[in-house]
Amino acid sequence: MKILLVEDNERVTQFVVKGLQEAGHTTDHAGNGRDGMFLAASEPYDVIIMDRMLPGGIDGLAIIEVLRKAGKRTPILILSALSEVDDRIRGLRSGGDDYLTKPFAFGELLARIDALHRRAEAINTEIPLTVGDLHMDPLTRKVTRGDRAITLQPREFKLLEYLMRHAGQVVTRTMLLENVWDYHFDPQTNVVDVHISKLRQKIDAEFERPLLRTVRNAGYTVTADD
Amino acid sequence: MLRSSALSLALGYVALGIIALVLFAAPLWYAWQVTIQDGRAEILQVDAQRLTEVFRRDGAEGAKSFIDARVRMQIAGERILLLTDASLHPMSGNLPAWPPNVPLVPGNYKVKIELGDHGMQTALLHVATLDSYHLLVGRDNALFAPLQTRFWYGLAAAIAVLSIAGLLIGLITRRALLTRIDSIRQTVTAIIHGDLQHRLPTHLNDDELNTLSRTINGMLEQIELLVHGVRNVSNSIAHDLRTPLAELRSRLEELALIRPPPEQAFAEIDGAVTDVDRVIRIFDALLRLAEIDAGLRRSGFVALDVADLAANAVEFYAPAAELKNIDLAFRSDGPGPVSGDPVLLAQALGNLIDNALKYAPVNGSIEVAVLKRGDGTAQISVSDDGPGIVDSEKSKVMERFYRGDASRGTPGVGLGLSLALAVAKLHGSVLELSDRNPGLRVAITLALDAASTAALTTTTQETATGEVTESATLAAS
Repeated sequence: MKILLVEDNERVTQFVVKGLQEAGHTTDHAGNGRDGMFLAASEPYDVIIMDRMLPGGIDGLAIIEVLRKAGKRTPILILSALSEVDDRIRGLRSGGDDYLTKPFAFGELLARIDALHRRAEAINTEIPLTVGDLHMDPLTRKVTRGDRAITLQPREFKLLEYLMRHAGQVVTRTMLLENVWDYHFDPQTNVVDVHISKLRQKIDAEFERPLLRTVRNAGYTVTADD
Repeated sequence: MLRSSALSLALGYVALGIIALVLFAAPLWYAWQVTIQDGRAEILQVDAQRLTEVFRRDGAEGAKSFIDARVRMQIAGERILLLTDASLHPMSGNLPAWPPNVPLVPGNYKVKIELGDHGMQTALLHVATLDSYHLLVGRDNALFAPLQTRFWYGLAAAIAVLSIAGLLIGLITRRALLTRIDSIRQTVTAIIHGDLQHRLPTHLNDDELNTLSRTINGMLEQIELLVHGVRNVSNSIAHDLRTPLAELRSRLEELALIRPPPEQAFAEIDGAVTDVDRVIRIFDALLRLAEIDAGLRRSGFVALDVADLAANAVEFYAPAAELKNIDLAFRSDGPGPVSGDPVLLAQALGNLIDNALKYAPVNGSIEVAVLKRGDGTAQISVSDDGPGIVDSEKSKVMERFYRGDASRGTPGVGLGLSLALAVAKLHGSVLELSDRNPGLRVAITLALDAASTAALTTTTQETATGEVTESATLAAS
């Protein structure tokens, strides 16, 4: 994946660029708003990571607005130290696709970039999902593993659907909270983990190969690979 | 002193009063003068008429003796009489000679003439011609001088009384005003110097200053509350962030000192990251509390179904309850349309259920209920059968970072109930804690919003990040 990082803090830049490189992505970096705008407008990127407050007179949100007006549809993840809900709304309204508050865990950033990239590839919500021998039909809401039918509660279905749509990617607890439950706060306890283990009971318990796996320090992933 | 508003106002009124007095006196004076003049001219004419009759009847000699008799009778100066022959030689009367500035044409004149022992006096004269004789009849104007003087004195006295009274009232008002303003100034100065507990003095009456003082006091109340909140938050930050930061610091310092083998070092680093996460979590909770306290989140208010919100929260926590074998039940009597912030209400309710899950015993039970009450409100309640909270601790548990004895050893940062309280306050409610013997019941009462029932259908639970809050804000604006 080709990623543009617009960020003025050297420490954060170093940390992100190195992490992305290790994850197998190519990263361009712009240290101020002007360069960021130039690169974002001229080069084709898969995802842009944009800091909100930038030196050089152009603020991150302004760049996003200009890009969107120019017809650029590149998915943009806004990175910001402003955590209030209104800031978040403003960021998304300007044309950003996701919003991550500093400080953040690298795993969270990587998972969100993957999700953004995947979202950009047109998702057809009617096509059945398959991971290994696990099948899900979003239309009939039938889930089968091998030749056995699995009965899921509506919320469990939604949880598994989200995981399967991001098959092979890491999905963090925050992403699950936001996308499955629409909870934009930290519920303090490990309730998400409990939901996952319940789901795991249903889809993995009686099978040899587990599909729903825990990624240490990051979250979960559904994959048939080893 | 002239810059005092009360005084200049009083002086303005005095000036206005004087102008009114003068405007009243001037036409009066004029009318008076005209009336007197006309009356006298008439009297003089009558006098002249009578003398003319005497002259016609008795001839010049008769008129002379008549005038002589009149002059002898009268008080000197009051009446002016003179009869001269054709060559202006005086024949009879009390003037030594025909005044040179009085013409010989019949008519009325007002001139200054020499009045013998009275010197120069203004007099009103009537001149008549009888055959070849000239007759002069007049009145001394000085007769009315005292009356005029009294009129002017009266006017001056009225103006003086008005001025002095106005000035006095102005000074007294200014003094009273200054006293009150000075007390306000002193209070405000004390507040500027940091003592926020001062309040402006108010009186029982409801004048403008008092109303203003009350309004300012209300403002001070709010400011004190906010400052207190900020102080609380900074104290809390100092208190509760210091501990994990200190732990983190020593962990890292130890790592740098000992330089353990990689395996152990990585484990320590993972531990350090967990420490940092805890700090961030506390920080986020504090920021959100501060945000709610400042009342900034009202923009997020939308029409929502509180029963639906509670049902979702119960569903979310159900697996966690199962794990502890707690019976988490939900009860409601139909949709509860209210106007509120869905994110904050969900968080507050989540905190309450989370607390209940922490304190309810294994195999215990928790009930979440959303029940409408007769007075147009709906009550959300979370009841558990845990140890409960003794009365003396009930108010303390809502304080930030307070953790009761029962909570020792349980995870949490001690902000759950204070956040729930702040959210309840933002929604115009409070957090009611009551005993269930055993157990605790926490309730928030929200006003039902009849108008929003229709709008409810449009706010569904979207999945994409931020979309709900976004549409919510749009609907509210």
